[in-house]
Amino acid sequence: MTTERPGVNEKGSGGKGIWALLAVLVLFNLTIGLLFAPRHVELHHAPIVQLPNFLAFLGVPGEYLPAHVTFTWLVMVILVVGGALGSRALQAVPGPLQNVAEVIIEAFHGLLDQMIGKQGRQFLPLVGTAGLFILTSNLLGNLPGFQAPTANWNTTVALALTVFVSYNYFGIRKHGLTNYLKHFCGPVWWLAPLMFPIEFIGHLARPVSLSVRLFGNIFGEESVIVILLSLAWLVMPYFIWLGVMLPLSLFTAVVQTFVFIMLTMVYIAGAVEEGHGEEHP
Amino acid sequence: MRNDEPSVLKQLARLSTIGISLVAATAIGLLIGYGLDRWLGTSPWLTMIFTIFGIVAGFLNLFRELGLIQRNW
Repeated sequence: MTTERPGVNEKGSGGKGIWALLAVLVLFNLTIGLLFAPRHVELHHAPIVQLPNFLAFLGVPGEYLPAHVTFTWLVMVILVVGGALGSRALQAVPGPLQNVAEVIIEAFHGLLDQMIGKQGRQFLPLVGTAGLFILTSNLLGNLPGFQAPTANWNTTVALALTVFVSYNYFGIRKHGLTNYLKHFCGPVWWLAPLMFPIEFIGHLARPVSLSVRLFGNIFGEESVIVILLSLAWLVMPYFIWLGVMLPLSLFTAVVQTFVFIMLTMVYIAGAVEEGHGEEHP
Repeated sequence: MRNDEPSVLKQLARLSTIGISLVAATAIGLLIGYGLDRWLGTSPWLTMIFTIFGIVAGFLNLFRELGLIQRNW
């Protein structure tokens, strides 16, 4: 027989307390839900920032500009203002804003050095802009009333096509057109008719997978939150949103940004590499 | 900065690249084959061949990306 410790007792009563709390919460939910059940639920409320459609003469439909365009411009404004504030009046001993900017730039420099090597830092404008834009817009989507521009396929296709065109351009600039195309044909000449279509399809698949991955993750997570919050009169979904979905979507925002810039750097490294197509130990 | 044990973030990033890379390459191969078949009128053959090319390309992309990411972390 073990001696009774007070901690055991407390733990047991704590367990019971949790069940009692859950039961009360469920009852509370049911009463509230039955009392205040709305007649209809609005799934889509208007976004906070709306611009009147001044591009109608170009054939853009609707009374307002599409939300993803407006929020893309909002993200651009945030980034430009942040960049201007961070780089204004540079000093040897940085102030707080310059400090933040330096930390971000150094993080990108570290990643570029690791993934691409010593020639990696020249690609900072592309990789850094893509990373900051995606991160800002993913995080913006978590604020109520804001939509992430990356939850729309058009935005992510634009990003992925930019990456696709520029890594091919970097490869051609580095190796020349014929040498770059020669890398598509594999190491042995008689394998070339087999390797060329395979490599070609593989390269075409890259922008598709990049754009679909980012769009699917952000859009799916946003849809789940919208549906969950449309049931917010049940009270419980609100706590699920605060406790589960909000941390999860913050996590997804960071991970998807990371994946996007990681793969961008992998593609650039593959196109720019010296001994292209051969395996390095 | 390089740890022996990769963090959860990096592992998730690594793993979440797997699925869509395979599917996208296969779908692109299928679409190219189907388009060529409709253009040239050689019904099932080019679709089959290019789908197989697409599957191979998907695996090739997968190994290359995962290898590069793993080697550099």
